Amino acid sequence: MSENNEKKVHGIVAEYTSVDSLLNACRRVRDAGYKKTDAFAPFAVHGIEKALGIKPTVLPWIVFGCGAVGAIVGLTMQIWMNSIDYPYIISGKPMISLPAFIPVAYELTILFAAFGAFFGMWALNGLPRFSNPIFTDPRFDRVTDDRFFLYIDAKDEQFDEAGVRQLFGDTGTEYIQTVVDDDSSSKVPKGFFIAWAAVIGLSVIPVLVVLKMRLTKSSLPRFHVFFDMDFSPAKDAQQTTTLFADGRAMRPDVAGTVARGDMLIDMDYMTGIDMEALTQVDARRAERLVRSFADPSPQQEGEQPPVADTEETSAPAEKTAEETGVQEEATGETESAAPAAAPSVMDTTPWLTQNPLPLNKQLLERGQTYFGIYCSVCHGLNGGGNGLVNRRAQKILATNWIPPSKLNQPTLAQDVYPDGKLFNTISNGIRKMPGYAAQITTRDRWAIVAYVRALQQSQNASINEVPAAEREAILKQQAEVKKQLEEQAAAEAAQANAEPGDN
Amino acid sequence: MSEHDTPAVKIADDPAFKLPTSLSSLSMPLCIGGVAVLLIGWACGSSVSAKFGMSAYLTAFMFCLTIVLGSLFFVMIQHLVRAGWSVVVRRIAELYMVMVIPLGVLFLPVLATLLFGNGTLYNWDDPTYAEKNFLPLAIWTEKLRWLNQGWFTVRAIFYFAIWSALAIWYFRQSVEQDETGEKAVSDRMQYWSGPAIMAFCGATSFAAFDWVMSLAPMWFSTMFGVYVFAGSVLAAHCTICITSFTLQRLGALRDEVTVEHYHDLGKFIFGFVFFWSYIAFSQYMLIWYGNIPEETHWIFERQLGAWGWIGIVLILFHWALPFLGTMSRHVRRNAPLITFWAVYLLIMHYVDLYWVIMPEAGSSMGGILGVISSLFCVVGMTAVMIGLVLRVADQTKIAAVRDPRLQESLAFENI
Repeated sequence: MSENNEKKVHGIVAEYTSVDSLLNACRRVRDAGYKKTDAFAPFAVHGIEKALGIKPTVLPWIVFGCGAVGAIVGLTMQIWMNSIDYPYIISGKPMISLPAFIPVAYELTILFAAFGAFFGMWALNGLPRFSNPIFTDPRFDRVTDDRFFLYIDAKDEQFDEAGVRQLFGDTGTEYIQTVVDDDSSSKVPKGFFIAWAAVIGLSVIPVLVVLKMRLTKSSLPRFHVFFDMDFSPAKDAQQTTTLFADGRAMRPDVAGTVARGDMLIDMDYMTGIDMEALTQVDARRAERLVRSFADPSPQQEGEQPPVADTEETSAPAEKTAEETGVQEEATGETESAAPAAAPSVMDTTPWLTQNPLPLNKQLLERGQTYFGIYCSVCHGLNGGGNGLVNRRAQKILATNWIPPSKLNQPTLAQDVYPDGKLFNTISNGIRKMPGYAAQITTRDRWAIVAYVRALQQSQNASINEVPAAEREAILKQQAEVKKQLEEQAAAEAAQANAEPGDN
Repeated sequence: MSEHDTPAVKIADDPAFKLPTSLSSLSMPLCIGGVAVLLIGWACGSSVSAKFGMSAYLTAFMFCLTIVLGSLFFVMIQHLVRAGWSVVVRRIAELYMVMVIPLGVLFLPVLATLLFGNGTLYNWDDPTYAEKNFLPLAIWTEKLRWLNQGWFTVRAIFYFAIWSALAIWYFRQSVEQDETGEKAVSDRMQYWSGPAIMAFCGATSFAAFDWVMSLAPMWFSTMFGVYVFAGSVLAAHCTICITSFTLQRLGALRDEVTVEHYHDLGKFIFGFVFFWSYIAFSQYMLIWYGNIPEETHWIFERQLGAWGWIGIVLILFHWALPFLGTMSRHVRRNAPLITFWAVYLLIMHYVDLYWVIMPEAGSSMGGILGVISSLFCVVGMTAVMIGLVLRVADQTKIAAVRDPRLQESLAFENI
């Protein structure tokens, strides 16, 4: 013991043979006022913190805080990822749908709380600590077996070697030892560094392989890690498959079900035709129309009764078109020049004269949006018939091109071209124009009808029809646009003037 | 070994193990008053509608039954894991678990309503129900193979037979040990606890399907039995906590039940608050995500009007508040505080059952009369149950006085 005196003293440790003697010693040390103490036992001892006067730990608060952070991180991460950074609808749920986020937030709460508990315990205990001077005494090894130790640190304010020895002696221990610096070698074994370097070296290999593949060129085909993701087995329309007995990749609706939006509620609304009136005029056609909506499958064609209608027999090509609605004869505008001996089916059809949807600003705005998306490319944003497609067709002098109608022309006015007819044209197309029933929902087609009516009116309106309050703003806007146009024209003229001069 | 001295095991005849006389004299008044209040509650409910009265009765019945079944589970699980800590409070649970026999009698009105009420309580017993609600006949006829008067009755008898057999056997063994102190008795109880718990869980889960879930015959949730079970175990721990606190206040078990036992009961209360929420949310989320009409309608109906508010109350006050409230060990180691939370959670447990059962009785809560009816029914039924518990307790000890692990339980300490 005495030969160790020149080394730094870390504290004093005493050995006990039973839990009770350890607890008694702890109480005496606590009552003597020592603060920097520690007890060691092979197993957890009830009440030892109290006996040693250890303050309750703050670890629960750390765990609680980490858990709360985990919950917040989980929620914000998902809201950010799924709703802000990359908005993606899953299962038709709202972008921010709490129930879907809770499991992940719950798991992160637990994960963070567990990390908080684990690493918080490390931090509070000053871990990781690879060595402790108390280990220098080989006798201390028995603390994992059948001995108990009590330790008073030299950093304690009251520490005084003789006093502590005296105190320990009073507690009935026979073994008291001063803990001094560990003089064993602190050199890390060489093998450790070699192993460390080897692990790092090996872990770099995959990164290098990936980098090489990314940065160099190769004549070999691309390496597909996930082959079935790069070449998805998804089927396209009209393709066959071996998966189903009938070989069809497109699956028909299950018997007795109706696909979303296909529910037949109101024939007038779906067709734009006053069906009751049509039944009186042409019952057979009305029936056929209803049947075509109820079951659009093609085999129905065969079951159809022979058509007595002279007009339809004269135009058999039109028959299939009629199954999904009514299509105007392909002659289109030139038809007006032809003798009107037999009235066209388009004229005899009792079209709805009124838009079945209640007119309001919302509906018109919806119509404007969809007009902008689907119609304006040909008909132009103002319905003047000069959309981008038309301009391009004129420019390249497309031979087949039939110019789109000017929507504000008198032949399309509400009294001669009823709303229902306009709806039918949008749904089923006319001349070069395709039908849009498959792309635009029924409601949106009616919204477009409403918007087209508004467009027609706006193109032939005077300022007096605008509500007085808004007139000024419109006039101001008009003046601005006019000025802009004039400036543009002037600039163009100037450029035109300048160009010949250059030549 | 510990910081404070543990009490020595007292002799079996010590007054600490006897039900205080102030309580035993309450037994008769509680039973008679309880029946009267229960009848008034049922009558009030029946004036709203016959269905409402029986639903209020069923809610009160389920409230008591869940406490009783939770207690039975508590006893069996303590034996299964050979728990030492719980010996001092186990007899309290044993006293509650034998109440499954009187509850079998109290179930008779429900059964009678089914057999003679023509669909008053259970819609599936109404022969016109499927037609009135446009239910697909193919499914409905299959449902009726399970949901019909005869088979339902047989099953009810079967459930009560299992529970009663378990409860009586465990109670008798435990009381026998009070005399003999044989370790073999403990071993026997542990030996059978595994199969007993399996039988118990099957019966409880199917009873929840039969008696509660079938109120909405087209709705189904395989989680439902676990949902009722989760509330049941929570309620049992709360009841044990409240009962031991009351007994201690009145002078019994003063040295036996310590802050350590409250701490453990509190841990289980805390755990089962979350377990209930976990199960409730799991059931909700799967239905919400699947979004299939035949599953969502049950929850949708419970989101309409005042039911929706009760649902929010359950989220906030059956989960969030007690979760935070019972999280701290300082709360759990404070007997009056954890008892407060136990009382609070029993009330929330009733609200939970009310939210599950009562919407099937009609979209409204039946006005003032309906609220009075629900309150009177549950207070009356609980009073009857407590009256009978006191009666049984008076004839036996209120702790397992010669259990071989009693010393361990007395000395028990949380680290």
